[in-house]
Amino acid sequence: MPYREKIAWLSLLAMAVTFGPYFTMTATRAVPAEPMPNLHQLGLFAATAIAQMLILGIGHLYLRRSTQDARMPLDERDQAIMRRSVSYAYYVLIAGMILVGCVMPFNSSGWSIVNAALFMIIAAEVVHYGVVVFSYRRQA
Amino acid sequence: MIQGSISNRIRVLRFHSGEMSQAELGQRIGVTRQTIAAIEAGKYSPSLEAAFRIAHAFNLPLDQVFQWERQKAAK
Repeated sequence: MPYREKIAWLSLLAMAVTFGPYFTMTATRAVPAEPMPNLHQLGLFAATAIAQMLILGIGHLYLRRSTQDARMPLDERDQAIMRRSVSYAYYVLIAGMILVGCVMPFNSSGWSIVNAALFMIIAAEVVHYGVVVFSYRRQA
Repeated sequence: MIQGSISNRIRVLRFHSGEMSQAELGQRIGVTRQTIAAIEAGKYSPSLEAAFRIAHAFNLPLDQVFQWERQKAAK
């Protein structure tokens, strides 16, 4: 498996195990009535971001040491796959930002909008790495 | 638009070049082994420059490595 496909799998895994629980907890748990209501959500987000950084950092180090083609520069096919994946992810991100920035303010506020924006960024990243994996799988 | 498909003889040419490996060919033209595998399988069409480099690696003109076959129009 090429190094860049492994990195894409790692990124998808990191998002699944960090932002998966984050969005599940955010959607299912009510915000506790505290003097500082933002603290709970900020703490959850900080823990999620730190966990993701740790998984990605350790994963990158391990893959860089264990994969032969890790130090090879991007060739033209790698670049074509990157261009394709970024362009698909861009459309998801733009659609999400239009929804979050132009539609949601009419019926939502506060953390709902913040989390929706975060969700769309993660969705765009999932599409980005998903297209990378799919492209390497089918050798395109 | 004229429809067609690109085929190539890289696998055969590698065989005739002393069983040159995909990794070795990739190294000579500056792409990964996986990219050579994708080109051989017809899943990826290389840039014109990479195609010339591949042909040069076998000391052959481009049209003896890559062929373009026109598809017959459906009636």
